Amino acid sequence: MRGKQVIKLTVNGEPYEVEVEPHMTLLEVLRDKLNLTGTKGSCGVGECGTCTVLVDGKPFLSCLTLAITVRDKNILTIEGLARDKKLHILQKAFLEHGAVQCGFCTPAMLLTAKALLDENPNPTREEIREYISGVLCRCTGYVKIIEAIMSAAEEIRRRGSEYE
Amino acid sequence: MVRVLTPFEYFEPKTVEEASNLLRDYGEKVRVLAGGVDLLARIRRREIQVEGLVCIQRIPGLDYVRQDSEGLKIGALTTLRTLERSQEVRENYRLLFDAIHSIHSIQVKNMGTAVGNLCIATPASDVAVSLLALDAQMKIAGPSSERSMPLENFYLGVKRTALQPGELVTGILVPPLPKGSFGAFMKLVRTATDIAKVNVAVRATLRNGGCEEVRIALGSVAPTIVRARKAEEALRGTRLEREAVVEAAERAAEEVNPITDIRSTAEYRREMVKVLTRRAVEKIKVEAGVKG
Ligand SMILES: Cc1cc2nc3c(=O)[nH]c(=O)nc-3n(C[C@H](O)[C@H](O)[C@H](O)COP(=O)(O)OP(=O)(O)OC[C@H]3O[C@@H](n4cnc5c(N)ncnc54)[C@H](O)[C@@H]3O)c2cc1C
Repeated sequence: MRGKQVIKLTVNGEPYEVEVEPHMTLLEVLRDKLNLTGTKGSCGVGECGTCTVLVDGKPFLSCLTLAITVRDKNILTIEGLARDKKLHILQKAFLEHGAVQCGFCTPAMLLTAKALLDENPNPTREEIREYISGVLCRCTGYVKIIEAIMSAAEEIRRRGSEYE
Repeated sequence: MVRVLTPFEYFEPKTVEEASNLLRDYGEKVRVLAGGVDLLARIRRREIQVEGLVCIQRIPGLDYVRQDSEGLKIGALTTLRTLERSQEVRENYRLLFDAIHSIHSIQVKNMGTAVGNLCIATPASDVAVSLLALDAQMKIAGPSSERSMPLENFYLGVKRTALQPGELVTGILVPPLPKGSFGAFMKLVRTATDIAKVNVAVRATLRNGGCEEVRIALGSVAPTIVRARKAEEALRGTRLEREAVVEAAERAAEEVNPITDIRSTAEYRREMVKVLTRRAVEKIKVEAGVKG
């Protein structure tokens, strides 16, 4: 197959039909076609992790994913993390703990943290460190990010919900 | 923003046969796309030029990990993360688990397949080094036939595999480990996420305190991953006494042919082969409760 083609994508629960070429990455489609610019792009080769989105719940690098290969999968971007104007508890915790500095890695950190807590609601510090190690924070604010995730995990467990 | 990929044609075969026919018909102009972690990065860096990608992601029946009487079976689409989370791998093939666990990016492990990792054919692969020590076999399919070959014979050089036109890898077979087998994986890296300067996997089968069988696999010290056969000989039949271990480590360092690059000098790598080989065997001794 060559040239343009219309594919169906489900992003943040919304169905979309977009025209893509095979070499277009999910990152390009999200940012340039769907105007969802919360997802960042940086290194382009898998080192920085800032382009992370969740594909069927799993952290994926959107800059190394061809859009055409994730048709009919569920994609969650940072724009879909808050619900009904309510922040996700992880988002609140990041604000409260000062876990956001320049903000460039924040969307990827939050989504990676969400995937972690979905998999393991009660992670240790070490497990958090390992899980988020694929996302670089060049402000080096890791301590606060880890504290925010620890505290969000606790609150989500206590409430039995990811939202207040 | 990151550079765009150069345009290519996209194929999505539904069967292995269809995939291998495409690979045969288009030859060098196309590449297999599995997880895409390595391939798309290379295209973006303009390291390789492709006219087409043969995406195997939607071929059914290639995503599995299971253990039976023939050993551990891994499909071409099985991701590193699936293997890391598999109880069979963690409990029965610890060496493989440790190698995968040393990769520090959940994103890479969710997308990247073990077979894709092996097909890159870099001598720095942690997965390849551990699978070499486990005597892994590659299962290969071509347009009209299937074959399998030891992982050791799969590599011809840096980024060169023994795959013929039209062939793709369909899976990996890791034979059952004899009773009394122990393994140790070690790598030396500058930062946790960097590629290894040197990586070592050792597997030993012990009976009544004696070393019956042993494999020493080394990475990043030659154009392909290698087995240190003379070092293995120095251990086989011993009780892993200190002198035997030191001798094996010395021989391993003599057998390799490292280069100097941005990560290390050749001299340093050679020295570290000695250190890591010794430490890996020491670790096995501790785990197996071998004294001395
Ligand atoms: C940030 C980062 C960190 C990493 N760290 C480590 C590490 O610490 N240790 C380590 O060992 N690896 C590491 N890797 C490598 C990673 O494991 C591989 O890039 C990944 O597993 C490749 O798998 P894939 O499915 O994405 O392959 P692809 O990118 O899809 O393919 C890779 C190559 O193999 C070929 N290929 C794929 N499948 C087949 C098949 N079935 N038959 C024939 N050819 C095939 C492709 O044509 C291509 O040439 C790292 C990678 C990144 C980006």
